[in-house]
Amino acid sequence: MKGEGEILIVHRLLDEQILDSDGKRCGRVDDIELRGSPPRIAALLVGEGLYPRRLPDRLRGAARKLAGPERWGANALRVPWEKVDRIDAALHLCCKAEELGLGEGDDPERWMVRRLPWN
Amino acid sequence: MKSILRIALGIIAALGGFLDIGDIVFTTQAGALYRYDLLWAVALGTLGIAVYAEMCGRVAAVTGRPVFDVIRMRMGFGLGLVALVASTFVNVLTVAAELGGLAIVLQLLFDAEFSLFVVLAAIGLVFVVALLPFGGIERVFGYCGLLMLVFLATAIHQGPDWGEVAHGFVPSLSDSKLYLYFVVGVFAAALMPYEVHFYSSGAVEEGWDESNLRENRLNASVGYALGGLLACTLVVVSGFLFHPVGVDPTDLGTAALPAQGAFGETGLLLALGGILFCVGGAAIDSSFSASYNLAQFLGWEWGRYRGPRNAPRFTVSWLIFLFLAMLIVLTGINPVEITEYSVVLAVVALPLTYFPILMIAGDRSFMGKHANGLISKTLGWVYFAVIVTLAIAAIPLLLMTNGGGG
Repeated sequence: MKGEGEILIVHRLLDEQILDSDGKRCGRVDDIELRGSPPRIAALLVGEGLYPRRLPDRLRGAARKLAGPERWGANALRVPWEKVDRIDAALHLCCKAEELGLGEGDDPERWMVRRLPWN
Repeated sequence: MKSILRIALGIIAALGGFLDIGDIVFTTQAGALYRYDLLWAVALGTLGIAVYAEMCGRVAAVTGRPVFDVIRMRMGFGLGLVALVASTFVNVLTVAAELGGLAIVLQLLFDAEFSLFVVLAAIGLVFVVALLPFGGIERVFGYCGLLMLVFLATAIHQGPDWGEVAHGFVPSLSDSKLYLYFVVGVFAAALMPYEVHFYSSGAVEEGWDESNLRENRLNASVGYALGGLLACTLVVVSGFLFHPVGVDPTDLGTAALPAQGAFGETGLLLALGGILFCVGGAAIDSSFSASYNLAQFLGWEWGRYRGPRNAPRFTVSWLIFLFLAMLIVLTGINPVEITEYSVVLAVVALPLTYFPILMIAGDRSFMGKHANGLISKTLGWVYFAVIVTLAIAAIPLLLMTNGGGG
């Protein structure tokens, strides 16, 4: 379902689950970058730094304190549209999450979970 | 033959997983206060959870999306966040209620300090999750929860006036606020949102696809109907024994007494065992639900089947939710009170999770030929109206009746 053509970006793309080429869940489409006229999708934007802009004005300040301000490359990432392989029940990338810096929050080293017995 | 067996086992798991501390507390009290008058509300609640769970299971099997995946997709980030915060609050409160229930039962079985059992129960749950695979957890608690059948035997043994029992299934309202509070409570206890969060995420954990739709229908219809039957039995045995003498069963142990009356110590032990497994299973389901929801909403990796190494944030958040729930019980608030609050607040949060499921289950662009048909659509919307009504009435009734205290 990808390629040239039209897509209902809010209905079908925004907030969609992203899976990498190994099927690993690595974030959701938190925002979309459009360019040109007529607008075309340039990139998907992913990361907790983008959460504040999804909230009403009044909550934005508080959300920035919690999620941290938008820092590109750290808590806000750009996934070029070319990296999207296909969209079916979820959005599949054609590369590994690490190549784009996605899914770093699920790095086991950060969470001391290696020794848990139910691995 | 094999598939029939598998489906039968699934139904038993659904049946055992239906009852939890909320059902036990509200049905026992409803029986004691109003004898068989509230049976219709139990039946109505059971049909509600069956309709809702069937939709959630179908959506999960067809699209691979569990409940909070759908909520984020259909409600967006802002409104979805409201649903997430409300559901998480209710789920953690429910875990606390179930942990408290576990500790009460353990205390009745082995005499020692309550707070010790709260901690032991929490540690025990971590061990169970560590040792058993996902399907094993569901089955152990589901099958052992069948000990609750002792209440069915108790009802038959007691031999109530069955005509009077049947009359209880005719809906009746009264202007008594306490009665209305119990209508909301009994209905909501059957429709706890964690049950569908867990059910739909479990479907994804077990890799369901369209070939599992029949299993899904049978779980929701037969499994939940049998679960509802057990809930009705709790009303009947309590109504038979406690209503005439005016006992108000304010602690969980009282719920097991009718079985003792009928079958002596064996009955009591079976009943306590049944409650232990039902409540223990519900503690795992509700705590898993809290972290399923968080992980699904934020797009993290999740699932018991991934293991902590591949789903670390999911695992760590589960441990944190369990710990928070343990702290809530350790404050010394009566677990029965925590239960009542968790059930009544759950019905307030329910429309937020029910509505997006109803939307996507009827959306042909997602569901294709498995989208809601006429029956699901009608039942779905009727129940949505009922849920919204109860959600609006719940908090005022809770305050006006002083939490069911009259």
